[in-house]
Amino acid sequence: MASDMRLPVLRKAVSVSSAGSDRADHKDLVVPGDVITSDPGFMRGHGTYIDEEKLTASVAGEVERVDKLICVRPIKTRFNGEVGDVVVGRITEVQQKRWKVETNSRLDSVLLLSSVNLPGGELRRRSAEDELTMRDYLQEGDLISAEVQSVFSDGALLLHTRSLKYGKLGQGVLVQISPALIKRQKTHFHNLPCGASIILGNNGFVWLYPTPGQQEEEAGGFYTSLEPVSLADREVISRLRNCLLALAAHKVLLYDTSILYCYESSLPHQVKDILKPEVMEEIIMLTHHKLMEQES
Amino acid sequence: MAGLELLSDQGYRLDGRKATELRKVQARMGVFSQADGSAYIEQGNTKALAVVYGPHEVRGSRSRTLHDRAVINCQYSMATFSTAERKRRPHGDRKSAEMSLHLKQTFEAAVMTQLYPRSQIDIYVKILQSDGGNYSVCVNAATLAVIDAGIPMRDYVCACTVGFVDETPLADLCYAEEGGGGSSLALALLPRGGQIALLQMDAMTACKGVSKVLDEVVRQHLQDVSVLTRE
Amino acid sequence: MSFNVSAKQKRKTKFKPVYTTHYSRVNPHNKTVFAAVMLKSKTFVKKTRSGGVMKIVREHYLRDDIWCGSEVCSECKQESTVLQRDACIESNLCPFPHYLVPDTNVVLHQIDVLEDPVIRNVIILQTVMQEVRHRSAPVYKRLKDLIHDKEKHFYTFTNEHHRETFIEREPGESANDRNDRAIRVAAKWYSQHLKTPEAEAEGLRVVLITNDQGNKAKAEESGLLVYRCEEYIKSLIANPELVDRLALSNNEQNEISSSKVLFPEHLPLSRIQAGIKSGTFLQGTFRASRDNYLEATVFVQGEGEDSTEIILQGLQNLNRAVHQDVVAVQLLPRDQWVAPSSVVLQDDGVPKDDETNEEEDGRRKRICVEEHMKPTGKVVGIIKRNWRPFCGMLNVSQIKESTRHLFTPADRRIPRIRIETRQASTLAGQRIMVAIDGWPKHSRYPNGHFVRSLGSAGDKETETEVLLLEHDVPHQAFSQAVLSFLPKMPWTITPEDMVKREDLRQLTVCSVDPPGCTDIDDALHCRELDNGNFEVGVHIADVSHFIRPGNALDKEAANRGTTVYLCGRRIDMVPELLSSNLCSLRSNVERMAFSCIWEMNHNAEILKTRFTKSVINSKASLTYAEAQMRIDDTSMNDDITKSLRGLNKLAKILKRRRIENGALTLSSLEVRFHIDSETHDPIDLQTKELMETNSMVEEFMLLANISVAQKIYDEFSECALLRKHPAPPPSNYDILIKAAKSKGLEIHTDSAKALADSLDVAKVDGFSYFNTLLRILATRCMMQAVYFCSGMDSDFHHYGLASSIYTHFTSPIRRYSDIIVHRLLAVAIGADSTYPDLMDKHKQSALCNNLNYRHKMAQYAQRASVAFHTQLFFKNRGILNEEGFILFVRKNAIIVLIPKFGLEGTVFFDGKGKTGVNLRFDEEVPSLTVEQHTFHMFDKVNVTISLDDSNIQHQKIRMALLEPVIPGVSVPAPEVEPQPKKPKLDR
Repeated sequence: MASDMRLPVLRKAVSVSSAGSDRADHKDLVVPGDVITSDPGFMRGHGTYIDEEKLTASVAGEVERVDKLICVRPIKTRFNGEVGDVVVGRITEVQQKRWKVETNSRLDSVLLLSSVNLPGGELRRRSAEDELTMRDYLQEGDLISAEVQSVFSDGALLLHTRSLKYGKLGQGVLVQISPALIKRQKTHFHNLPCGASIILGNNGFVWLYPTPGQQEEEAGGFYTSLEPVSLADREVISRLRNCLLALAAHKVLLYDTSILYCYESSLPHQVKDILKPEVMEEIIMLTHHKLMEQES
Repeated sequence: MAGLELLSDQGYRLDGRKATELRKVQARMGVFSQADGSAYIEQGNTKALAVVYGPHEVRGSRSRTLHDRAVINCQYSMATFSTAERKRRPHGDRKSAEMSLHLKQTFEAAVMTQLYPRSQIDIYVKILQSDGGNYSVCVNAATLAVIDAGIPMRDYVCACTVGFVDETPLADLCYAEEGGGGSSLALALLPRGGQIALLQMDAMTACKGVSKVLDEVVRQHLQDVSVLTRE
Repeated sequence: MSFNVSAKQKRKTKFKPVYTTHYSRVNPHNKTVFAAVMLKSKTFVKKTRSGGVMKIVREHYLRDDIWCGSEVCSECKQESTVLQRDACIESNLCPFPHYLVPDTNVVLHQIDVLEDPVIRNVIILQTVMQEVRHRSAPVYKRLKDLIHDKEKHFYTFTNEHHRETFIEREPGESANDRNDRAIRVAAKWYSQHLKTPEAEAEGLRVVLITNDQGNKAKAEESGLLVYRCEEYIKSLIANPELVDRLALSNNEQNEISSSKVLFPEHLPLSRIQAGIKSGTFLQGTFRASRDNYLEATVFVQGEGEDSTEIILQGLQNLNRAVHQDVVAVQLLPRDQWVAPSSVVLQDDGVPKDDETNEEEDGRRKRICVEEHMKPTGKVVGIIKRNWRPFCGMLNVSQIKESTRHLFTPADRRIPRIRIETRQASTLAGQRIMVAIDGWPKHSRYPNGHFVRSLGSAGDKETETEVLLLEHDVPHQAFSQAVLSFLPKMPWTITPEDMVKREDLRQLTVCSVDPPGCTDIDDALHCRELDNGNFEVGVHIADVSHFIRPGNALDKEAANRGTTVYLCGRRIDMVPELLSSNLCSLRSNVERMAFSCIWEMNHNAEILKTRFTKSVINSKASLTYAEAQMRIDDTSMNDDITKSLRGLNKLAKILKRRRIENGALTLSSLEVRFHIDSETHDPIDLQTKELMETNSMVEEFMLLANISVAQKIYDEFSECALLRKHPAPPPSNYDILIKAAKSKGLEIHTDSAKALADSLDVAKVDGFSYFNTLLRILATRCMMQAVYFCSGMDSDFHHYGLASSIYTHFTSPIRRYSDIIVHRLLAVAIGADSTYPDLMDKHKQSALCNNLNYRHKMAQYAQRASVAFHTQLFFKNRGILNEEGFILFVRKNAIIVLIPKFGLEGTVFFDGKGKTGVNLRFDEEVPSLTVEQHTFHMFDKVNVTISLDDSNIQHQKIRMALLEPVIPGVSVPAPEVEPQPKKPKLDR
C-alpha cells in the first residue's frame, strides 16, 4: 500500500496581511525578567511581579495595559476561566456530591451534583439516592459542556450545567487547541450551515457534532443519541476538524465566520489533504482574504 | 599515547574555540503541539528535548500536594543512542535520578510556584545526543519549554559548565574536555539578578578557584546565552 | 622509497576522521562569542576496549581570527607579532628574507638543527605540532621550549582551525597524506597572505622544508618554494658545522653500508602485537650487560609479581636492540639455552673496520653449565625505542680524509655509533653528544649524528656535564615557562598571607647548617613555658606556598625530584630565587614557614603536637661549629644560646631513646674537598667531621618527620607519601658476620636492635678504627630506603631509624617528596586546598617511582662527582704512599680503604704483567693467599696511589701494594718527594 510520508521541513509561517503585521509592531513584547516599568503608579497584574520595586514580566508575551493595571498575556497558556465562560470538559473523577472535570485549566474544575439539571424536574433537593446514582448520569471519561459559575480562590473553576444547552455530549469529535485562539463571542454554540454543529469552549476544547434533528427536552441534557451518523455528516465533521487544526496551526482566531470561510476554502481539496502543509497554507490564505473582505 | 591537549599554547581548545567561547547554540520552542510547552536545543553536539505539562491537578498520590504552591516534577533521561556506546538506561539509573533532582531544585528556585497552589508542573528532559554539559543543556532546554508553556518565572535560568585547565577556566566543556580535565563545575543562574539557582561541582578542585570561575566566565557567558535565547 | 615515507607508514592510524560541514556563519549579532565561525564536525570510529566499535563525533570550529604572526602583515589584527620583518638566515639558496615551514618529519628528526640559535623565524603548524606530540614526547617538549624562546621567533600557526587552511580528508587519502596536504595548503596560504606590497618590498617568502620526495614534488607543483632539509642546511653560509647535526636520512645510509645483511629483519608492529597476544613473543625491557657487549637480559614483567629474565646472547639475537628499548622476544628451544657468561668482554681496542667477524666472539664463550641455564631468546622486533642523546668520545677513523667515524659512548651498555662529521680532528679528545638515527639491518653499528660538543675530556666542566647527562639529571637552565611562575620581586609578605598564618616572628628562631649553605630549609627554636615545659619548634621553609600544584614550575620540580649536590656545584630543584632567597630561612628577614611545634617536658616526652603555617624571622643562621661554640662557651647567655642549649639537651635524650629502641648508627666515610677558590681544583681532602650540633639538628628533623608522617597517614590513609627502609634479607649480613668472626667477635643480626648492640660492643684493643670499619661494612648490607604511597603498600617500617612510620618533611627546597608532604599536611590542617592528583594513589605512586629514581641517580652522580674530584686531586699529587685497611677480599684482588681520603681502591694480583702469581682464595674465612702471604679482612697494608689515565674516557685511581712486601707483586716505594708545595696552596 502506498502511503504518503514526508520528513518535517521548516516552513515559513504564512505572512499575514500587512495590516496585521503593522499592528504587531505596536505590541509591547516582553520576556521573563524584562522590566516593564519602574513607575510605582502601576498595578501588578497577571504575568508580572515586583522585583526591587520594578514591575517585571514573568512570562513571555504581550503587555496589556488597562488603565493602571498592567498584565502580560502569554502567547500560550492554560485556560484561565472567568464566570460565564462556556467550557467543554471531560469527567476525570466521581466524588461525593461532585464531579471533577478536566477543562485544560491548572486545576481540575468542579461540577457539583447540585448544579446539574437532573432528569425529571429541575428544582428539587438532591437526595442521598442521587449521590449513589451519580455515575449513571456522568461517569469518568464522559464529555460535557458547561458554563463557569464561579472561580475559587486557588483558581479552580466551579461549573454548572443548569441550562438545556449544556450537559453530556454524545457522538462527535473533540479538537483541543490553545484557549487563546478562541474568540470570545455572545454565543459559542453554532449550527453551521454546512451541516454540523460546533461548541467552541473558551478553554480551547472544541466539540463538533452532527446537528441534532430536534431538541428532545425531556432528556434534560443527559440523553445521548446512539443513532448512526450518516456518511455525509461524518465527512463534514472530519473536514471541519481538519479546518480547525489548520486554523490553529496558523494562529487564526476561531469563531463561526472564520471556521465557515475556512470550510468553504477547503472544499476543492479532499479532507485528508487539508493537513498537508502546502494545502493548508493555500486554504488559510484564502480564508484570510475572505475575512478581510468581510471586514472591509 | 599521550592524552589530549585540552588547551594549546596559542589558547585554542580541542575544537578550535578559545577558553571563554561557548559552543554554537541553536534552539526552537514549541516543537510539540500536545504538550503545554516544549523546546529543543543544541549546544554543539549536545542535543536535548524538553517538554512541560501543567500546571495541572496533582496526579498520582494526593499527598504530594502542596497547599501554598505548585509541585515541580522533573524527569531527566538519556536516549540509548545518545552516547558513543549504546547503553540501555533503566529508570533506576542513579545518575539520572540525581540529575532529575538537580533540575527540580533549579526550577523550584525560578518558577513562581506560589501562583499555582495544589497543582503540579511536569518537566521532562531527554538528552538525544550527549557531548558534555548535559546538565546545563537540560536546564537551558527546560527554561525554554517553561517559557513556552506560559508559566511565570522570575527570570531565565541559564546554565553553563566550566572546567579548569592549568588555572585557565574553560567555558562550556565538551565531552572530551569533561573527561580529560580534573574538575568541572555546573552553574545555573538567573542572569538578571545574578542569583545562583544551582551550583554543582564534579571532582575535587581547588575551592579557591571557584570564585574566579564565577566571576570571569560564567557570568559573562550566561548573559550571552540569555541574549541568544531571547531572539 | 625514501626514509620518511616508510617511517610514516609505521605510524598508527587509529582514527579515520570524516568531516561534514554543517553550517556557515552563526551569531552575527554577538561579537563576544566568535568573530565568524564555521562549524564542522569530525567523525571517527574508535575501537573500544571491549572490542566494540564506537563512533565519535567531535566539533571542529573554523575561525577567521587566527593571525599570521608576521611583523610585515597589516591585515591581521594581532596584538603582538613573533615573526620578524627581516627574517634573514644567510643562505645560498634563499638570499631573501624568508620564513621556514618544516614538516613533521623534519621536526622529528632534525630537532637538533632547529635548536641551533641560527635557525630563527620558523612557522610551526598545528598539524605538525599534533603529529610530533603524537609520535615523540621528548621532541614535543623540546619543540615547545623552542616556541617559548623569544629569541628564536618560532610561531605556531593554528592552521587546523583556520577557515582557509583547514582541509578535509578526501576519500582514499591516508591520514599522513592529508596532513602533508594540510602543511602544503598552510604554506601556500602563507605565501599568498604575505604578498602584501609591504612584504613584497622586503622580498619576504615562505620556504617549506620537507624530506619527503612526493611531498616536495607536489609542493613544487603548486608553486611553493620548497627544499630538502639537507639542501637548505648546506646552503647556510655562516654555519657549516650545522651540517654535522643533520640526522642521516636513508639515502645516505644506503651508500655507506654494504649490501650484506647482518641482522634479521624486525617484525612489523602488528605481527608483534599478535604474537604477544598469542604468547609466542614476550614483551620486556632490554638491558644490555655492562661487562659483555654480546650479552643482554630482557626483563619481562609478568602478571602481578612474577617476572622473568631472559638471556640474549650474540649479535644476531640481540638484533639491534639498544639498552632500555622495549622489545619483543621469542624464546629459543630449551636445548639452546645458555648460562650467563661471567666473562668481561668489551667491544674496544682498536676501532675495527665496519665488518669484522664478531660473531665468533659470541660463540667462543658458550660454555654451558647445566644448572645455571636460563631461558634464552632472541629479539624479533622493537616495540619502542628509548634512544636519548648519548655522551661519549669519538674514535677518529684512521683514514685521514674520512668523514665517518665511530663514537664510543661513556655508558658501556650502549653500542658504538657511527657518525659522519667533518670536524673529527677538532672533536677528537672532546666529550661529545651523539644521537642515534637508526640501525639498518646491514650495518654493524647504528647510525647517528653529532649533537653538540660538551668540551674537552678531563676538563672539570665537561666531566661534570657528562656525569649529569649520564645520570639523567635534568640540569638545564629553567625555562621561561617555569620562571614565569616565580613571585614578582620585590616580594613581601602581604596582609592576606598573614591572615592564614600564625605570627611567630617574635620567637627566637635560628638555623644551624653546614658552612656555605644558602638553601636553608629548617630553623629551630626552643623556649621554656610558664608551666616549666619546653616548647620546641621546627620551622620548615614553606615551599608549597610558592609552588602551586600543576603549573610548569611544579611539573619541573616534580620531574627533577631533588637537588643534586656535586663537588663545587649544586643543581637546584627549584629556581634560585626560591631556593636561596624567598624560601631560604635566612636570618633577620621575614619568611614563610611551615611549623611543627611540640610541647615537651624535661624528659623530652611529647605532650602536645601542633602544625601550623607561620611567618618567622630567624635571629641567626649558624654553622654547626658556631652553634657548638655557643653551647660550649659558658660566658654566652643570650636567647639564641639558651635556646640552643635547651635543644641540645633534649636532642641528647631523644637520641638516647632512639638508640635504645634499636636505631642504627652506621658509618660511611664522607669526604669534603677543600676547593681552591680560584681554580676550583681540589687542594685537600678531608673526611667530614661530626659535631654534637649535627646530631642535635638531625634529632629534631627526625622527630618532625615522624610526627608529620603520623599525621598525614592518620588523615589520608590511602595517599600519604611515606618513606620506608625495608629490613635486609639475612643473607646480606653474611660478609659482616664472617668479617667479625675473623676477629673473634660475634654480630647478631636478628633485629636492628641486636645489630646495633653487637656493633657497639665490637671492639678490638689497639685497633680503634676497627669499629668504624665494621660499621662501614654494615652500611653496605643495608637496603635502599624508598618513598612509597601508603595506599599501595602495607609495610611501612623504617629499619634504620627503628620507626614504624617515616616520611620526609624537612627539606622541601631540595626534595620534591617534602613538597608533597607539605601539601598533604596543609590539607590535613585545613591551611590549603587539595587537588585531584594529590588524592590519586596511582599518580602518587608513579610520582614516588620517579622520586626514587631521581634520588638514586642523584646519589650515583654525587659519587661519580666525588670520584672524579678524587682523581683530579691525585692527578696533581703524582704517586702517593698511604696506609689503608683491607675492606674485602676477592678471588684475585683485595679492596683497600684509605681512611685518610675515604678512598677505596682495588689491588689486583693478576692481570697485566703479573702472570703466574700463585693465588689461593678461601671463601669461608674469607682470605686470599698470595705466594706466602695471606690477606685477611681488616689487615693493615701500605699502598701507592696514582692516577691511571691511559684510557681518557675512563680514568681511574690505581693502587699497588707496597707493604707487606711480596716479591713479584708489591712495588718498590716511590721516591719520596717532598710534600708538593705549590705556592698557592699556602694561602
